[in-house]
Amino acid sequence: MNLGPLSRLTQQRVNQQDVVITHEDVDRAHDRVRVSAARAQRGPFSKFRLLWLLVGPGILVMLGENDGPSMISYAATGARFGIGFFLPFVVLTFCMAIVVQEMTMRLGSATHRGHAELIFDRFGPFWGWFSMIDLGIGNFLTLITEFIAIRAGLGFFGVPPWAAVGSALVFLCLAVAMHRYWTWERTLLAIAVFNLIFVPVALLTHPNWHSVGHAFITWKPLPGLSQDTLIIILADIGATVTPWMLFFQQSATVDKGLTTKDIHLGRIDTVLGAALAAAAAVATTIATAPLFVHHMTAENFQGAEFAQALQPLIGRFGAALFALGIVEAGMVASVTISISSAYAFGEVVHRPHSLNLPVTQGKSFYSVLFLLAATAGAIVLIPGLPLVYVVLLVNVVAVLAMPPALVFLFMLANDREVMGDLVSPLWANFLATCVVVFLTLAGVLFGVSVIAPNLFAFLGGK
Amino acid sequence: MPSKDKGQSSITSTDQELVLSSLEPEQLAGLKKHLIPRRHLKGPERFVIWSLRIYLLFMIVVVIYQVWASLH
Repeated sequence: MNLGPLSRLTQQRVNQQDVVITHEDVDRAHDRVRVSAARAQRGPFSKFRLLWLLVGPGILVMLGENDGPSMISYAATGARFGIGFFLPFVVLTFCMAIVVQEMTMRLGSATHRGHAELIFDRFGPFWGWFSMIDLGIGNFLTLITEFIAIRAGLGFFGVPPWAAVGSALVFLCLAVAMHRYWTWERTLLAIAVFNLIFVPVALLTHPNWHSVGHAFITWKPLPGLSQDTLIIILADIGATVTPWMLFFQQSATVDKGLTTKDIHLGRIDTVLGAALAAAAAVATTIATAPLFVHHMTAENFQGAEFAQALQPLIGRFGAALFALGIVEAGMVASVTISISSAYAFGEVVHRPHSLNLPVTQGKSFYSVLFLLAATAGAIVLIPGLPLVYVVLLVNVVAVLAMPPALVFLFMLANDREVMGDLVSPLWANFLATCVVVFLTLAGVLFGVSVIAPNLFAFLGGK
Repeated sequence: MPSKDKGQSSITSTDQELVLSSLEPEQLAGLKKHLIPRRHLKGPERFVIWSLRIYLLFMIVVVIYQVWASLH
């Protein structure tokens, strides 16, 4: 057997008499055999074959985070500010996501433990439960917004809310019904790539490429500093870096069975995912930029309104693509976020938690996953619920919850006893510190604008 | 021989050999029940964690106030 960095710490002596082999182990071992075979091969396609086998968690987490509320935030950004500062800013937020998510992939590959499990074991239940409460509340709120997006997107096609929520729950059940991580991952990847549907929508608006290039080079025109701008900034950051992503990618890395040998390709997986997600995010901002002249505000944050508003500009087909994109974003994210919650729950209570588990052996895993989604879906059906504010709130809360979550990630990634020689290098620590400081300052500035408008005006805000 | 999980009778000895030869020890589901030893938090670390915890609670109140103000 190979030994990972954690072996020294846990002092595990694998006595073959004590080892309990499960189906989960067998499935993962088959996946690892294929990876080992691909690694041993020589030839022009061997590296691509290996990359194909190892990609997944990074792409899924990035495209999964391009969820319903995120796409609505990008759409609101384009409609509110047009083409300018926010195009390169959105790309910057994905660079931040790469810095953060690389650490989770490295942690998962080195320790084979989920994020919640590591926090509980290393820092104790007191801090562990704080993290879990943050994750639980954040995930639940985000799940509600996914169903809002699905409801709004399908509403464009005349589907009633109950049918929209029901179809999302059926999709969730089908997605996890394979009881095999590999099959689930490949299926969801194929669906998640439809996130790029926003690229043809952007092309249908015939964007001014000179303005797009100018915006990327100069970061101009700049938006005025106002509370509205701050909310959009926070919403766009929250659309890219959120706590559930930390827990999901680390757990998925563990479930997939990545090891320290796979870290390099795990990084490529993460960067590839960020590039695809950034392309979709930028395309969404460009797609709704023509609405800038209509002075849309936060009140127009529902997905369907954007599709309807775009219809005169890009036709019924383009508007339908936009609405489908919102539905796809909500569907994929409802699966990844539910699974993130179920992984964390299983890690904390030490119950089986893997997509390789049959239902009979993973009752708690699948129950948490489904009950959470069903409750979130039911809430969306409550008449008169202020859905707009829930969407807005969730991305802002996600940004505010990130600094405490990042500090634990930062400490774990620098824990030599856990990580061995795979602790974060100096440059990664510098970048991670910059991300924490940036997120905290953005939150503080938002707080100042709300509770001390005079001080905010003194700082140049409106 | 390694033992099998309850209800795992379909796992063959070939499967067991495969698992033991291709997975790292910590990857085995059965061995994940071993806890990783607790780490003692230093003073500055505790300060940063508590500060960010207070920051989060305060900002949640701010967000709730902002939503309340927007609705009224």
